[in-house]
Amino acid sequence: MNPPDDNDRAEQLEIDASAKWPVLAFFGSALLWLLAGGALQLGASIQLHTPSFLADCEWFTHGRLAPAAQNAFVYGWGLNAGFAFSLWLMARLSATALRSGGWLLVAAVFWNLGVALGVIGIMTGASTSYELLEMPHFVSLLLLGSYLLIGVWIVTTFGVRNTENVYASQWYILGAAFWFPWLYLAAQRMLIEVPVRGVVQAVANAWYVNGLLGLWFVPLALAAAYYFLPKILGRPIRDYYVAVIGFWWLAVCAGLAGGSRLIGGPVPAWVSTVGAVANFLVVAGVVIVGVNLLGTLAGHVSAAQKSTTLRFILLGIGAFFLTAALNFALSLRGFAEFAQFTLITELRDWLVLYAVFSTAMFGAAYFFLPRITGKVWRAPVLIKAHYGAAVLGILALIVALGAGGWQQGLLLGNEHVQFADITRALVPFLVLRSVGLILLLIGHAAFLINFVWIACPVNFRGTETAVFRHPPALELHKT
Amino acid sequence: MKNGLLIFAGAFATIALSWTGVVLSAHRQLGGLKQFKDPIEESLAPVPLTGLADQGRAVYQDLGCVSCHTQQVRREGFGSDIARQWGTRQSVARDYIREKTVLIGSSRLGPDLRNVGARGYANAEYFYNLLYSPERIAAGMPAYKFLFDVHKAIPGQVSNRALKVTSDGYEIVPTRRAEALVAYLQSLKDTYEYPEAKPFVETPEKKEGGK
Repeated sequence: MNPPDDNDRAEQLEIDASAKWPVLAFFGSALLWLLAGGALQLGASIQLHTPSFLADCEWFTHGRLAPAAQNAFVYGWGLNAGFAFSLWLMARLSATALRSGGWLLVAAVFWNLGVALGVIGIMTGASTSYELLEMPHFVSLLLLGSYLLIGVWIVTTFGVRNTENVYASQWYILGAAFWFPWLYLAAQRMLIEVPVRGVVQAVANAWYVNGLLGLWFVPLALAAAYYFLPKILGRPIRDYYVAVIGFWWLAVCAGLAGGSRLIGGPVPAWVSTVGAVANFLVVAGVVIVGVNLLGTLAGHVSAAQKSTTLRFILLGIGAFFLTAALNFALSLRGFAEFAQFTLITELRDWLVLYAVFSTAMFGAAYFFLPRITGKVWRAPVLIKAHYGAAVLGILALIVALGAGGWQQGLLLGNEHVQFADITRALVPFLVLRSVGLILLLIGHAAFLINFVWIACPVNFRGTETAVFRHPPALELHKT
Repeated sequence: MKNGLLIFAGAFATIALSWTGVVLSAHRQLGGLKQFKDPIEESLAPVPLTGLADQGRAVYQDLGCVSCHTQQVRREGFGSDIARQWGTRQSVARDYIREKTVLIGSSRLGPDLRNVGARGYANAEYFYNLLYSPERIAAGMPAYKFLFDVHKAIPGQVSNRALKVTSDGYEIVPTRRAEALVAYLQSLKDTYEYPEAKPFVETPEKKEGGK
């Protein structure tokens, strides 16, 4: 990829510098949303085991707080972080500077304005109640408008590329950049502007939710994995030639799998069957990605553990396989009958959003932020705290939602168990969930402090200027 | 893969495939679903929502009840929905054409509500009590005290809509929104037997033949 040649190096510095302000704007606001969304999420989680918490204030009633938290997390953190990462990586891989970045700052302002109005809208009672589309309708225009500006920048940066080859990470970013507006526009149109009739709404909503997770969050996480593994380990992706099949395979299956969320529901059986089949077929794509990524890692895990970036990326890769397994299981009718509507389905979505995507973005940020700002991370102990909190928090949530959901499924399936007893049985798991969310929040606060130090233009604490080693040369076979 | 145009065409094709294949096909099949006309009684089912109940649907939507409650009864033999008496039959697509926003939900932290209006105990007072002080009726559910107007009762002039008068002389009166929400909850009953709502029952012969 990048031979350690000084000309290339200078060019790379220039590209990183061109991306500095847009990336900082998007990533900084993403981090603020991550903390705000995390606090709301914690509040909503506490309400599940202590129903009286904030219940008397209408703005904070659970049915508003929970979607507000989820929207702040998805659109505030998820999309913003995705924009920052995509813009930077696309510029780098296309070997071209990010031009006229000022427009991106405008887009960042309007995007964040939209998310803020949306979250406030949900809390003040304008929620649409469609999953992940709860924000009031007028917000969608702001979001789409500013997204267009961002998406166009990603695509045009790719369009003026100075490279001959197009790398796997670029496919995933381009795909995500194109899929998101389509999904969002179609869902807004079919659910809110011209609502379709009856349960078709449920189908459209399931298609959107599954698409957003599978065609925006997962591709960006994979783009990070495909970029950083070879970059930091100095090893080319193993069996790279199959990566392209994996890409298309995942793209087709992720779109079609939405119906699997409606197994047993009041929709035609073919809808859920197509979804389930897509979730079975996706395994082939997951295997291909596994061959690529795990093959590259094989024998170098301890080397990977030395890099903060790769430690986070490894978490994300692990969670990617876990998610695919969980999706597979939830598409089996027997398991769906048992686990549907329990905390296990929540675990599936949370894994994608947090354990797959967010960890990948953390890893990427630990790599790109020093490079675009030219400063080193000031407090390594905060990095350790962030990583430790992430690992513990993820484990706590997997146990809380997985074991809790299992228990819930068992009790729900037994009609002799009173509903109140199910609620009581879930309390310890829901408490553990709150504990996990507190851990994650601590990690995010640590990250934010480090971020402020590295991003602050005034270097009043005398943060060191970063000096980067050349990335290790790829062990390419000369032909 | 070096051709940017190819990537775009492919990305377009994949999303178009899932959109037309899943969403538009479902729309084509069910988008025009009409009320069923009972051939004997010549009545139409499902019955549309009354104006007040439709306002209540909007309250249900804005309070985010869907966060914890589903509105879908799964068929007999698939989960314990029927055994828990959440309905007498499975929910079918036609049940939902009366609602402008269809919120079938995906979490059962609370019980299913699709037929909550059909339950014997489900009179308006029950729902008001549930919303005002759920702790005695439904553990885990938050109270919705903000849906009630609490003020000092004038002796001899207690509102006839008051839920109750507390011992220290305050009357608790449901607001308009509470009334609408309760009207909506009471309207939730899918009792009409459509021809397509026949539950799928595996016959014993079939089971033996399969083994």
